[in-house]
Amino acid sequence: MNNRIREYRARLDLTQEDLARKVNVRRETIVFLEKNKYNPSLRLAHDIAVVFGVPIEEVFVFEND
Amino acid sequence: MNMKRGIVALLVSAIVLATTAFWFFGMEKSVNPHEIVSFGIIVVLVGFGIWFAVRRFSSAHSGEPQEDELSKKIVQKTAAWSYYISLYMWVFMLWLKDRVEMDTEEVLGAGILSMAVIFMLCFIFHRLRGVRNE
Repeated sequence: MNNRIREYRARLDLTQEDLARKVNVRRETIVFLEKNKYNPSLRLAHDIAVVFGVPIEEVFVFEND
Repeated sequence: MNMKRGIVALLVSAIVLATTAFWFFGMEKSVNPHEIVSFGIIVVLVGFGIWFAVRRFSSAHSGEPQEDELSKKIVQKTAAWSYYISLYMWVFMLWLKDRVEMDTEEVLGAGILSMAVIFMLCFIFHRLRGVRNE
């Protein structure tokens, strides 16, 4: 699974720390997500998509799609 | 700020370091290489414990959660892997005991120390590799 968190974060001019605070995780988790080293729970994926104001599938992209 | 786990990690590290220092500096006979290696490993493990505690304190200080879903998954995976690897380590220790002259205390001490090292290495491995659904 790939994601476009870095891209959307840059669009909204959010730092990793800002995003981490908004979705209530550690900054390290955002770092892991952006490096594709972690697949988030559905809840976290949903929360991130809500912050960006887009559907989940816009942020998280499955490789088979 | 809930710093309970950080305080526990720091307290355990301090107790381990203090008892090791009592053991090491209170020895009447000369120190052999095996004991120096054990002491070195314990110091590394205590360093790991202090690093863990400092991370918790800095997280609490900056207002971010000390634990989230990623950190919990890393600890869960580390625990599962280290348990599995430790089983083989104990089999190896039993095999070694029949071939090398070792007291029961030495076997137990080396085994417990090895378990701690295995846990630390598994933790570092998962932190570097990340947690993905394979």
